[in-house]
Amino acid sequence: MKEQFQARMLRIHFGEDDRWQGKPLHEAIVGKCKELGIAEAIVFRGIEGYGSASRIRRSGHWSRSKDAPIQLSIIDTEEQIAKLLPFLDAMVEEGLVATSAVEVIRYSRSDIAPGSEQ
Amino acid sequence: MLQPGKAVKVTIYLGEGATHHGVPVYSSILDFLFYRGVAGATVTKGVAGFGADHHMHSAHLVEISDHLPIKIEFIETRDKVEELLGKLEELAGSGLIETQETTVAKPAQVSKSAKPLTPAHLKIQGKAQMMRIYLSEHDRWSGKPLYGALVEAMRANDIAGVTVYRGILGYGAHRRNRKDNPLLSPHHGSVMLSAIDTAEKLRAFLPIVDKMVAEGLVVFSDVDVIKYAYRALDADQETASATQDSGQGQVQQ
Repeated sequence: MKEQFQARMLRIHFGEDDRWQGKPLHEAIVGKCKELGIAEAIVFRGIEGYGSASRIRRSGHWSRSKDAPIQLSIIDTEEQIAKLLPFLDAMVEEGLVATSAVEVIRYSRSDIAPGSEQ
Repeated sequence: MLQPGKAVKVTIYLGEGATHHGVPVYSSILDFLFYRGVAGATVTKGVAGFGADHHMHSAHLVEISDHLPIKIEFIETRDKVEELLGKLEELAGSGLIETQETTVAKPAQVSKSAKPLTPAHLKIQGKAQMMRIYLSEHDRWSGKPLYGALVEAMRANDIAGVTVYRGILGYGAHRRNRKDNPLLSPHHGSVMLSAIDTAEKLRAFLPIVDKMVAEGLVVFSDVDVIKYAYRALDADQETASATQDSGQGQVQQ
């Protein structure tokens, strides 16, 4: 099945060591996205970078040993993204959230409409 | 799609030992023809022969000799052949390419229409689009990883450049059984392909994405390309690689 719609993409940048209620922040955010039925969420670990506090972040040889830069990409319709934003405000203490308008084509084997799945 | 009537038959003769970026040349050529929507192509392996170097290649044990002659044949319209020949000459390296007028009495039965043709690789500057494709690393297409097949398909269609990123966590349209899959498994295998080119070229490539991607998300956004620079590979490297522009773009969104 193929659907085409206008959507919004959020990119959130922070560090791998950032935590939320004891859990790694990126896992917490992906978990929240899933709970809200957000269409797509993916986390990337960068090899080097720096963020809002100008602290260099690097993934070490043992990739979990250092505070690597993390980028989280989230995609869904405006309404779905609007539902997520208040949670992000609370969860992301230090980081950057960028958004852009995008056009999306979704291929799926099921009949689940964007945002409606649990 | 091929119609009955005048057409051109192209025959390419290669040594089997020839490689291009580590894969046999015949397989690069076959991939190229496939992704460019050629109606059909056949690779045959000779049992003995010699080429421009006048070195006799033969086999007592056909299976183990890796220098036997290889012949690739395909039939297409004159326009299509002319469009493909430049790239084929580079891919074939030291091999021989022959074209021959032919008549198609009856075309093979195909259900799909030909892909739209894309213009050759151009320098992009200014308004462009970024296409991101989200899939599972485990999705397969024709026996190989889908993300790799998409990269090959983009290369054959002169998309300026593509990068594959592996996510460390994620879920999305490509997750088959969302309820059953533990969300936080570290080996879930979400990948993202990111390609930048003009809107027209990316849109022209979409029918191929339609055919190859069964589950996934394709996201388009407008970007401004502020620098696009690439260097040609050294001439003394394998001749066949001359068109491998290492596209390098910096993008502002």
